[in-house]
Amino acid sequence: MAFFKILSCFKCLVAAASVAVVTGVGFLFSGFYPMGADDHHNDLTYWALETLRERSIARASSDIQVPTDLASAERLLAGGADYNDMCVGCHLKPGVTQSDFTLGLYPQPPDLTQTENHQEDVSVRARKHFWIIKHGIKASGMPAWGAGHDDERIWNMVAFLQRLPELSSPQYQILSVRDVGDSGHH
Amino acid sequence: MKPQIRSYFVALPALMLALSAHAHSPDKHMKEAQASAPDCSMMEDMDHSKMNMDDPLTQAMMKKCMKAMRQNEGDSHDDKTAATKLSRHQH
Repeated sequence: MAFFKILSCFKCLVAAASVAVVTGVGFLFSGFYPMGADDHHNDLTYWALETLRERSIARASSDIQVPTDLASAERLLAGGADYNDMCVGCHLKPGVTQSDFTLGLYPQPPDLTQTENHQEDVSVRARKHFWIIKHGIKASGMPAWGAGHDDERIWNMVAFLQRLPELSSPQYQILSVRDVGDSGHH
Repeated sequence: MKPQIRSYFVALPALMLALSAHAHSPDKHMKEAQASAPDCSMMEDMDHSKMNMDDPLTQAMMKKCMKAMRQNEGDSHDDKTAATKLSRHQH
Protein backbone atom coordinates (compact mmCIF):
# COMPACT_ATOMS: atom_id res chain seq x y z
CA MET A 1 0.00 0.00 0.00
CA ALA A 2 2.84 2.34 0.97
CA PHE A 3 4.59 1.48 -2.31
CA PHE A 4 1.55 2.68 -4.32
CA LYS A 5 1.48 5.91 -2.30
CA ILE A 6 5.15 6.55 -3.08
CA LEU A 7 4.56 5.73 -6.75
CA SER A 8 1.62 8.11 -6.84
CA CYS A 9 3.72 10.87 -5.22
CA PHE A 10 6.52 10.21 -7.73
CA LYS A 11 4.02 10.56 -10.61
CA CYS A 12 2.85 13.86 -9.13
CA LEU A 13 6.44 15.13 -9.00
CA VAL A 14 7.11 14.06 -12.58
CA ALA A 15 3.87 15.73 -13.71
CA ALA A 16 4.76 18.96 -11.83
CA ALA A 17 8.28 18.98 -13.28
CA SER A 18 6.88 18.41 -16.78
CA VAL A 19 4.44 21.29 -16.41
CA ALA A 20 7.28 23.53 -15.12
CA VAL A 21 9.54 22.60 -18.07
CA VAL A 22 6.77 23.13 -20.65
CA THR A 23 5.82 26.45 -19.05
CA GLY A 24 9.46 27.54 -18.95
CA VAL A 25 10.11 26.63 -22.58
CA GLY A 26 6.82 28.27 -23.57
CA PHE A 27 7.91 31.50 -21.82
CA LEU A 28 11.32 31.28 -23.50
CA PHE A 29 9.77 31.18 -26.95
CA SER A 30 6.96 33.63 -26.18
CA GLY A 31 9.22 36.69 -26.42
CA PHE A 32 7.59 38.26 -23.38
CA TYR A 33 10.83 38.60 -21.41
CA PRO A 34 12.02 42.24 -21.57
CA MET A 35 15.62 42.27 -22.87
CA GLY A 36 16.17 46.06 -22.90
CA ALA A 37 19.10 47.25 -20.82
CA ASP A 38 16.89 50.08 -19.57
CA ASP A 39 14.34 47.60 -18.18
CA HIS A 40 16.09 46.44 -15.01
CA HIS A 41 15.88 43.01 -13.35
CA ASN A 42 13.78 42.59 -10.25
CA ASP A 43 15.73 42.36 -6.98
CA LEU A 44 15.60 38.57 -6.81
CA THR A 45 16.93 38.07 -10.37
CA TYR A 46 19.62 40.68 -9.81
CA TRP A 47 20.71 39.03 -6.57
CA ALA A 48 20.78 35.58 -8.21
CA LEU A 49 22.85 36.78 -11.18
CA GLU A 50 25.20 38.82 -9.00
CA THR A 51 25.76 35.89 -6.64
CA LEU A 52 26.35 33.57 -9.60
CA ARG A 53 28.91 36.00 -11.03
CA GLU A 54 30.74 36.71 -7.79
CA ARG A 55 30.95 33.07 -6.71
CA SER A 56 32.11 31.99 -10.18
CA ILE A 57 34.85 34.64 -10.32
CA ALA A 58 36.00 33.89 -6.76
CA ARG A 59 36.29 30.17 -7.53
CA ALA A 60 37.95 30.60 -10.93
CA SER A 61 40.51 33.14 -9.69
CA SER A 62 41.45 31.38 -6.46
CA ASP A 63 44.53 29.60 -7.87
CA ILE A 64 46.06 32.57 -9.71
CA GLN A 65 49.57 33.54 -8.58
CA VAL A 66 49.97 37.28 -7.96
CA PRO A 67 53.39 38.66 -9.13
CA THR A 68 55.61 39.80 -6.26
CA ASP A 69 56.41 43.10 -8.00
CA LEU A 70 52.79 44.07 -8.53
CA ALA A 71 53.20 47.36 -6.65
CA SER A 72 56.23 48.50 -8.68
CA ALA A 73 56.46 51.90 -10.35
CA GLU A 74 57.13 50.28 -13.73
CA ARG A 75 53.87 48.34 -13.63
CA LEU A 76 51.96 51.44 -12.56
CA LEU A 77 53.30 53.39 -15.52
CA ALA A 78 52.65 50.62 -18.02
CA GLY A 79 49.16 49.92 -16.66
CA GLY A 80 48.06 53.54 -16.54
CA ALA A 81 48.28 54.09 -20.28
CA ASP A 82 46.42 50.86 -21.02
CA TYR A 83 43.69 51.69 -18.50
CA ASN A 84 43.23 55.05 -20.16
CA ASP A 85 42.99 53.46 -23.61
CA MET A 86 40.79 50.49 -22.78
CA CYS A 87 38.86 50.96 -19.54
CA VAL A 88 38.18 54.60 -18.80
CA GLY A 89 35.02 54.84 -20.93
CA CYS A 90 33.17 52.42 -18.67
CA HIS A 91 35.08 52.53 -15.38
CA LEU A 92 35.80 56.28 -15.27
CA LYS A 93 38.77 58.31 -14.07
CA PRO A 94 39.33 60.81 -11.24
CA GLY A 95 37.13 63.86 -11.68
CA VAL A 96 34.64 62.09 -13.95
CA THR A 97 31.47 60.71 -12.40
CA GLN A 98 29.60 59.33 -15.40
CA SER A 99 29.82 58.54 -19.11
CA ASP A 100 27.45 57.31 -21.80
CA PHE A 101 28.53 53.76 -20.94
CA THR A 102 27.90 54.07 -17.20
CA LEU A 103 24.50 55.57 -17.94
CA GLY A 104 23.51 53.03 -20.58
CA LEU A 105 25.07 49.71 -19.64
CA TYR A 106 23.19 47.26 -17.44
CA PRO A 107 24.48 46.05 -15.09
CA GLN A 108 26.24 49.37 -14.59
CA PRO A 109 30.05 49.00 -14.80
CA PRO A 110 31.73 49.58 -11.43
CA ASP A 111 33.35 52.97 -10.87
CA LEU A 112 36.93 51.86 -10.27
CA THR A 113 37.99 55.28 -9.01
CA GLN A 114 36.04 54.51 -5.86
CA THR A 115 37.50 52.36 -3.10
CA GLU A 116 36.14 48.84 -3.25
CA ASN A 117 35.35 46.40 -0.48
CA HIS A 118 37.83 47.21 2.30
CA GLN A 119 37.36 43.85 3.99
CA GLU A 120 38.57 41.92 0.96
CA ASP A 121 42.23 40.90 0.99
CA VAL A 122 44.39 42.90 -1.46
CA SER A 123 45.75 39.79 -3.19
CA VAL A 124 42.25 38.29 -3.50
CA ARG A 125 41.06 41.48 -5.16
CA ALA A 126 44.12 41.50 -7.45
CA ARG A 127 43.41 37.91 -8.55
CA LYS A 128 39.78 38.77 -9.26
CA HIS A 129 40.73 41.86 -11.25
CA PHE A 130 43.22 39.85 -13.27
CA TRP A 131 40.69 37.13 -14.03
CA ILE A 132 37.97 39.61 -15.00
CA ILE A 133 40.25 41.61 -17.31
CA LYS A 134 41.60 38.45 -18.92
CA HIS A 135 38.36 36.51 -19.32
CA GLY A 136 35.65 39.19 -19.33
CA ILE A 137 32.12 38.66 -18.02
CA LYS A 138 29.29 37.18 -20.07
CA ALA A 139 26.38 39.46 -21.02
CA SER A 140 27.77 42.43 -19.14
CA GLY A 141 29.71 44.39 -21.76
CA MET A 142 33.04 43.42 -20.13
CA PRO A 143 35.26 41.98 -22.90
CA ALA A 144 37.91 39.28 -22.48
CA TRP A 145 41.08 41.33 -22.99
CA GLY A 146 43.16 38.18 -22.72
CA ALA A 147 42.37 37.46 -26.36
CA GLY A 148 44.74 40.19 -27.50
CA HIS A 149 46.84 41.06 -24.44
CA ASP A 150 49.37 38.91 -22.60
CA ASP A 151 49.33 38.24 -18.84
CA GLU A 152 52.09 40.71 -18.02
CA ARG A 153 50.16 43.52 -19.62
CA ILE A 154 47.01 42.56 -17.74
CA TRP A 155 48.92 42.47 -14.43
CA ASN A 156 50.12 46.01 -15.18
CA MET A 157 46.52 47.12 -15.40
CA VAL A 158 45.76 45.31 -12.13
CA ALA A 159 48.67 47.18 -10.52
CA PHE A 160 47.24 50.47 -11.73
CA LEU A 161 43.75 49.58 -10.46
CA GLN A 162 45.14 49.07 -6.97
CA ARG A 163 46.25 52.71 -6.77
CA LEU A 164 43.52 54.29 -8.92
CA PRO A 165 41.09 55.18 -6.07
CA GLU A 166 43.72 57.37 -4.39
CA LEU A 167 44.75 59.28 -7.52
CA SER A 168 43.85 62.92 -8.11
CA SER A 169 43.07 64.16 -11.63
CA PRO A 170 46.58 65.60 -12.18
CA GLN A 171 48.21 62.39 -10.90
CA TYR A 172 46.01 60.33 -13.21
CA GLN A 173 46.92 62.53 -16.16
CA ILE A 174 50.65 62.06 -15.53
CA LEU A 175 50.42 58.29 -15.14
CA SER A 176 48.02 57.60 -17.99
CA VAL A 177 49.68 59.47 -20.84
CA ARG A 178 51.33 57.03 -23.20
CA ASP A 179 54.91 57.93 -24.02
CA VAL A 180 55.75 58.71 -27.62
CA GLY A 181 57.49 55.64 -29.00
CA ASP A 182 56.34 53.47 -26.09
CA SER A 183 55.25 50.15 -27.50
CA GLY A 184 53.75 48.91 -24.23
CA HIS A 185 55.05 46.29 -21.80
CA HIS A 186 55.18 42.86 -23.43
CA MET B 1 34.16 24.82 -56.53
CA LYS B 2 36.98 26.47 -58.49
CA PRO B 3 40.38 26.50 -56.77
CA GLN B 4 40.53 30.30 -57.12
CA ILE B 5 37.22 30.77 -55.28
CA ARG B 6 38.30 28.25 -52.66
CA SER B 7 41.49 30.22 -52.08
CA TYR B 8 39.40 33.36 -51.42
CA PHE B 9 37.54 31.46 -48.69
CA VAL B 10 40.88 30.67 -47.04
CA ALA B 11 42.64 33.97 -47.66
CA LEU B 12 39.84 36.27 -46.50
CA PRO B 13 39.45 34.86 -42.97
CA ALA B 14 43.25 34.70 -42.65
CA LEU B 15 43.51 38.37 -43.62
CA MET B 16 40.78 39.33 -41.13
CA LEU B 17 42.56 37.38 -38.38
CA ALA B 18 45.83 39.12 -39.12
CA LEU B 19 44.17 42.55 -39.08
CA SER B 20 42.41 41.83 -35.81
CA ALA B 21 45.73 40.81 -34.23
CA HIS B 22 47.25 44.13 -35.26
CA ALA B 23 44.26 45.98 -33.84
CA HIS B 24 45.25 44.88 -30.33
CA SER B 25 48.92 45.81 -30.53
CA PRO B 26 50.19 48.54 -28.19
CA ASP B 27 51.26 50.58 -31.22
CA LYS B 28 47.67 50.67 -32.35
CA HIS B 29 46.56 51.83 -28.92
CA MET B 30 49.25 54.48 -28.99
CA LYS B 31 47.97 55.83 -32.29
CA GLU B 32 44.41 55.78 -31.02
CA ALA B 33 45.33 57.58 -27.82
CA GLN B 34 45.33 61.32 -27.99
CA ALA B 35 48.86 62.53 -28.37
CA SER B 36 49.61 64.54 -25.27
CA ALA B 37 52.36 65.05 -22.74
CA PRO B 38 52.15 64.57 -18.99
CA ASP B 39 51.23 67.77 -17.20
CA CYS B 40 53.97 67.83 -14.58
CA SER B 41 53.31 71.34 -13.26
CA MET B 42 51.80 69.74 -10.14
CA MET B 43 55.11 67.99 -9.45
CA GLU B 44 57.09 71.20 -9.89
CA ASP B 45 54.89 73.01 -7.37
CA MET B 46 55.20 70.29 -4.75
CA ASP B 47 57.67 70.36 -1.86
CA HIS B 48 59.92 67.44 -2.84
CA SER B 49 61.27 67.07 0.69
CA LYS B 50 57.76 66.11 1.82
CA MET B 51 57.27 63.53 -0.90
CA ASN B 52 57.60 59.86 0.02
CA MET B 53 60.20 58.63 -2.45
CA ASP B 54 59.69 55.02 -1.34
CA ASP B 55 56.13 55.07 -2.64
CA PRO B 56 55.94 53.45 -6.11
CA LEU B 57 53.28 56.00 -7.06
CA THR B 58 55.66 58.90 -6.40
CA GLN B 59 58.47 57.04 -8.15
CA ALA B 60 56.25 56.42 -11.18
CA MET B 61 55.24 60.07 -11.45
CA MET B 62 58.83 61.21 -11.04
CA LYS B 63 59.99 58.81 -13.76
CA LYS B 64 57.26 59.96 -16.11
CA CYS B 65 57.97 63.64 -15.59
CA MET B 66 61.76 63.21 -15.80
CA LYS B 67 61.32 61.34 -19.07
CA ALA B 68 59.01 64.01 -20.45
CA MET B 69 61.45 66.71 -19.37
CA ARG B 70 64.36 64.93 -21.09
CA GLN B 71 62.26 64.54 -24.24
CA ASN B 72 61.37 68.24 -24.19
CA GLU B 73 65.03 69.17 -23.76
CA GLY B 74 65.93 66.82 -26.60
CA ASP B 75 63.23 68.30 -28.82
CA SER B 76 64.31 71.87 -28.09
CA HIS B 77 67.93 70.86 -28.74
CA ASP B 78 66.87 69.30 -32.05
CA ASP B 79 64.91 72.44 -32.91
CA LYS B 80 67.95 74.62 -32.18
CA THR B 81 70.18 72.37 -34.27
CA ALA B 82 67.70 72.46 -37.12
CA ALA B 83 67.40 76.25 -36.85
CA THR B 84 71.19 76.62 -36.91
CA LYS B 85 71.46 74.39 -39.97
CA LEU B 86 68.68 76.34 -41.66
CA SER B 87 70.33 79.72 -40.96
CA ARG B 88 73.68 78.39 -42.27
CA HIS B 89 71.93 77.12 -45.39
CA GLN B 90 70.29 80.52 -45.96
CA HIS B 91 73.68 82.29 -45.62
